[in-house]
Amino acid sequence: MPGSHAVEVVDLYKSFGNVEALRGVSLTVRPGEVTAIVGDNGAGKSTLIKCLSGYHAADGGRILLDGQEVRFGSPLDARRQGIETVYQDLALADELTVWQNIFLNRELTVGPRPLRLMRRRAMRTSAAQLVDSLAVSVPSVGKTVRRLSGGQRQAVAIARAVMWSSQLVIMDEPTAALGLRETAQVEDLIRRVVDQGTTVLVISHNFEQVMRLSQQVWVMRGGRVVSGHRTADVSGVELVAEVTGAREFS
Amino acid sequence: MLHDTRAGRLHRFARAASLEETWMKATAPAALVLAGIVFSMLSPYFATWRNVNGMLADAAIPVLLAVGMTFAVMLAGIDLSMAGTMALASVVFGLSYTAGWGLALSCLLSIGVGLVVGVVNGLFVGRVRIPDMIVTLGTMGLVQGIGLIVSRGIPVPVSDPVLQAVASSSLGPFRYNFLIVVLVVVVLHVMLTHMPVGTHLLSVGDNVEASKAMGLRVPRVKLIGYLVCGAMSGLAAVFMVLYVGSTQPATNTDYVMKAVAATVLGGTSLFGGRATIWGPALGAVLLTVVQTGLTMAGVEAFYEPAVVGVVVLAAASMMRGRR
Ligand SMILES: Nc1ncnc2c1ncn2[C@@H]1O[C@H](COP(=O)(O)OP(=O)(O)OP(=O)(O)O)[C@@H](O)[C@H]1O
Ligand SMILES: [Mg+2]
Repeated sequence: MPGSHAVEVVDLYKSFGNVEALRGVSLTVRPGEVTAIVGDNGAGKSTLIKCLSGYHAADGGRILLDGQEVRFGSPLDARRQGIETVYQDLALADELTVWQNIFLNRELTVGPRPLRLMRRRAMRTSAAQLVDSLAVSVPSVGKTVRRLSGGQRQAVAIARAVMWSSQLVIMDEPTAALGLRETAQVEDLIRRVVDQGTTVLVISHNFEQVMRLSQQVWVMRGGRVVSGHRTADVSGVELVAEVTGAREFS
Repeated sequence: MLHDTRAGRLHRFARAASLEETWMKATAPAALVLAGIVFSMLSPYFATWRNVNGMLADAAIPVLLAVGMTFAVMLAGIDLSMAGTMALASVVFGLSYTAGWGLALSCLLSIGVGLVVGVVNGLFVGRVRIPDMIVTLGTMGLVQGIGLIVSRGIPVPVSDPVLQAVASSSLGPFRYNFLIVVLVVVVLHVMLTHMPVGTHLLSVGDNVEASKAMGLRVPRVKLIGYLVCGAMSGLAAVFMVLYVGSTQPATNTDYVMKAVAATVLGGTSLFGGRATIWGPALGAVLLTVVQTGLTMAGVEAFYEPAVVGVVVLAAASMMRGRR
């Protein structure tokens, strides 16, 4: 059924030198759902989403968005298609302010192309509104990111992705650095994003979170997807077993 | 990690006083005021308008090179080729001028030489991904050599009425060459803080991965930075011709050291990502003031490189505790 998947990954390969990070990954993401990817360290999860976000070019295989094959030359191509990514290693520029990071490469400007001037105040104001409306804990959008805590940085990265995404938000361990309250905030945010019709693909090591949030879960091991389930049909214990390879399903 | 080093302690002290940011920004202006006071006491002639005006005119080349260098340093790089480029550009200026191509075209060619060197530097740093230090060391040798080969090492006198007017006439209290430099500084300031490309330069200098992830074309952004460096070297060559009255085929690498010193004094982070334009510009003025002041106080010119060297080391050490 073409078109019934927001994202379809077919037989994706990616190597770094002689490390085969992805060895034929296939999975699908349904529109308007939260899809989770679980797997041990080094399973290839981050590599997979970096291929989806245009950061890496895959060595082989296909990526389809709404049934259309896409080939991203750079993250800009993916962003233009409405795909935003929260990277595990955050991707914030420390020396820039919160608002500069939120608007990085999406600056609001006036004037003709080569001489565009930035609308600094407008960006600042709308960054502040965004952060307020998302109820994430960021002290002030005028602060440099260097001065924020790990959780606050995460909040900035997530806020940015939510702001610009129109199709798909990809989050690589978005709550890894967060406390209980902030984790709840982010999960809440993910639900709200989904309610607005955006599709979410999330990597998590937290199985309870996967059970709480997602409708579909894929298990990766050794650069492959080893199984996939509707979350409602599987238990946390079974997922743990699959991740570690204690038992095979599917 | 840094807690037991001296720089670490200094750093924590600065932060504790919550002066850190202000500290870096205030270095050049504060030192400038201090130098002004000290030298005024040492020499009665120092604080005269004539002398101040002369110093501002002397600062033209250092300021241009410093603000250019800032564009490499904000990318966490450096451009060692600036002085060599300036020498070659002055040679090309001389060739064009003596061939009767006129002042305007000669100026454009001079800046053009800078841009060409900037393209080479930018492509090797950004696309071929060779460390900036090596690339610009290589181009330094190259442009220095070409300049000497083409000119046979012989300076060509250039006496142009317009250039002389720019060097010596004033508009209101200020000399034209100072005013042109101020204009350039303002333009680069607008570029850095009010145009998207400025944010992109800082972002790439700060975190290449993050910039790439946000879809910035990192090699292109680096190219822009080195283009600005090159353009400033080419423009500085015009100022050198009007200052000295002839081309200068021999490279004076002191200019590079001074430009780096001014950049660091101006609060530019050597790790990239944090820079202003007015900071390094003031830093360059400061170095000129110190140089003039020392001369007036009777210190031999031989001391000058050593003083600049100490300034580089001191200012860079103050930066070290960061990050
Ligand atoms: N840029 C890179 N260069 C070389 N090897 C890489 C690179 N990125 C990932 N790898 C390798 O690819 C494999 C998969 O890494 P990946 O980051 O995708 O794992 P992951 O599933 O995200 O793990 P984690 O849960 O620790 O985040 C690992 O063996 C890793 O060392
Ligand atoms: Mg990962």
